[in-house]
Amino acid sequence: MESTIIKTVNYNSYFGDNHVVKNVNIEIPHNNVIAIMGPSGCGKTTFLRGINRMHELIPGAHANGQVLLNGEDVMQLHPIMVRLKIGMVFQRPNPFPNLSIYDNVVAGYKLNGIKLPKSERDQIVEESLTKVALWKEVKDSLNKKGTFLSGGQQQRLCIARAVAMQPEVLLFDEPTSALDPISTSTVEELFIELKNNYTLIIVTHNMQQAARVSDKTAFFYMGELVEYDETKQMFTNPTDQRTQNYITGRFS
Amino acid sequence: MAQIENEIKQLKDEVVNMWMLVRSQLHKAKTAIVNFDKDIAREVVVREKRVNGYELKIDRDCENLFALRTPVAVDLRFVLAILKINNNLERIGDIAEGISKLVIYAELPFSEELLVRSNVLDMLDVCFSILDDALSAFENENTILARSIFKRDEFLNEINIQLIRFTKEYFAEKPEEIDATLYIFSIIRKVERIGDQVKNIAEEIIFYIEAKVLKHHYKND
Amino acid sequence: MIVMDMNANLKWRIGKSKMAQYFIVGLAFLCLIPLALVLFYIFKKGIGSINWHFLSSEQMSGGIWNGILGTLIIVPVSALIAIPIGIMGGIYLSEYKQQKFAIWVSTCVDIIQGIPSIVLGIIGYLWLVLPMHGQHSALSGSVALAVMMLPIIIRSTEETLKLIPDTLKEASYALGVPFQRTMWKVIVPCGFNGIISGIMLGVSRISGEAAPLLFTAFGNPFVQNNIFKEMGSLPLIIVDASRNPSPETQAQAWGTSLILLVIIFVLNILTKLLTSRWKVQL
Repeated sequence: MESTIIKTVNYNSYFGDNHVVKNVNIEIPHNNVIAIMGPSGCGKTTFLRGINRMHELIPGAHANGQVLLNGEDVMQLHPIMVRLKIGMVFQRPNPFPNLSIYDNVVAGYKLNGIKLPKSERDQIVEESLTKVALWKEVKDSLNKKGTFLSGGQQQRLCIARAVAMQPEVLLFDEPTSALDPISTSTVEELFIELKNNYTLIIVTHNMQQAARVSDKTAFFYMGELVEYDETKQMFTNPTDQRTQNYITGRFS
Repeated sequence: MAQIENEIKQLKDEVVNMWMLVRSQLHKAKTAIVNFDKDIAREVVVREKRVNGYELKIDRDCENLFALRTPVAVDLRFVLAILKINNNLERIGDIAEGISKLVIYAELPFSEELLVRSNVLDMLDVCFSILDDALSAFENENTILARSIFKRDEFLNEINIQLIRFTKEYFAEKPEEIDATLYIFSIIRKVERIGDQVKNIAEEIIFYIEAKVLKHHYKND
Repeated sequence: MIVMDMNANLKWRIGKSKMAQYFIVGLAFLCLIPLALVLFYIFKKGIGSINWHFLSSEQMSGGIWNGILGTLIIVPVSALIAIPIGIMGGIYLSEYKQQKFAIWVSTCVDIIQGIPSIVLGIIGYLWLVLPMHGQHSALSGSVALAVMMLPIIIRSTEETLKLIPDTLKEASYALGVPFQRTMWKVIVPCGFNGIISGIMLGVSRISGEAAPLLFTAFGNPFVQNNIFKEMGSLPLIIVDASRNPSPETQAQAWGTSLILLVIIFVLNILTKLLTSRWKVQL
């Protein structure tokens, strides 16, 4: 029986008066890859950003309900604390252009003023880059700026940066939409590796990607969580007609 | 309408056409037996090529659908079912051809009494009935109709089980009809297999509509 | 028939395009001509005055050392006042662009930019000279120049920061970095080039301004490095010397102009060097 790492209870999200995410109750088990899919505007990205309290950074945005990380309600904690435990990777690779690859990986520590001895920093850099299969490619150019890498490498660098903070959960907001197919495959292979140590929640527009990498899939439609099941089940025999219509392309 | 919907509809139409062709082949084979008409029997043999042609085309269309449309859920189950139904229909066509060939090889017509007592014509009528019902179940997504096929297949199995006993009895009574009796024996064996094929088709229909797998283990509803 | 028409049309459009190209390039050259003429003329007229005596002695003796020193004190002090305020202002305007107050501030910045430099000088006089019982000071001059420089720095900082994609801010927030650290350690360093360019632009601009200094720093023929007293500067020397018709002072004026040009030229080169070394590719 897998233990639950994240559980939301009656979670609602708004932009001003616009009720964008409606009463979501979901339980996410440890060391799983969960895909969240749905048509544009269904609230999946808003929901994802609510988990690490990034949603409220937008003016007028607010949310209520509970988001429990290992039983602790994230909505009651200071947002900064939450983001140290839950990492996020975005759609467009965004390594810090003014920092070297080395500094990018430990940016979470550096920018927060957390001082680490050099040996520990070196270790974190090597481990994180190894976890994202980037170590061999960049170990001789750690001092170069991150922006000189290819798109796929930059995205892996961003994942390394998130992983370096040793979070429990990693959130991905359409992580491969800006990448070419080969880089996409490399990143998808990473997901399979990463789930041994972390729990991954991935919002994706690409249904085949959800089918390829996830253990469980959640289907959002018009702000509601319509269906949430084992991926195998979702793609061979979904329960809800809306889910079936979506995955068979009857409406995008 | 999504691209895939069109293609699925086309595939469905093709399968229905093949179904009708196979039915007509079977019908002709029955006529050939009843009237001992070797010309009609030869027609069946020639037309078998068309049945094979259909099978190849449908297989190819399914392959393309998989490659280009990556069907999931009900669409996936549908295409998987079509692949198997395609196969089953082609075998029924083969059997119709086989029956017709036996009529061609036979030297003497089959006697009325033989035809009636062997139940071969009744069996063929049951085959038509279950084949038609399977088609209707397929076209209208009617799983209740599909399930009703299993029971009627039982009738065919029963006749088949009694076949050896019947043959010995009839031979004892009418040894002069030994040739015809043996031909009817072979024909009945083949007709029983038709029932099996239609039963498989019914299982596939239920799988695609209800996502229930009834293979190798079914209940008589 | 249609094909022929298209060909003719195409040729006409290509021709028109070429003509427009030449026109634009020609006009650009036209712009360069005055610049070239000015540079050439000043060089020609001023080079004769340049010698060690000129650079090292005081105004009375025909030199400009007091002016050089004055400029080297007044301008940096002015920069010291304007830079922090300007950068902060630019950051504020780029971060809070929707707020009502920000719109007011933005309007004020535009207004300041439009104030004539002589008026700024009068304001400096009113603020810092009169209350000190009419004591002219280099500081008051620096303040007037700072007000002049402020809009330039604010705008260029604001525009630079606006160009930085929001995704960088998001990346920083997602790592648990609070707002101030994100600004100072990520956004501002990324915008370093643009901000430095803006500062250098402002500094170059005010180095050559005389009007704001007329009533404030007032000018001083002697070397003097107390910012609370009158101080000379290169533009002021040009104003003084050019009023005096004698050939020596005229030569002094030309020579000073040349020196001023050289200083601004050097500043520009420095800026280019700095920004090219610190290139941050977004």
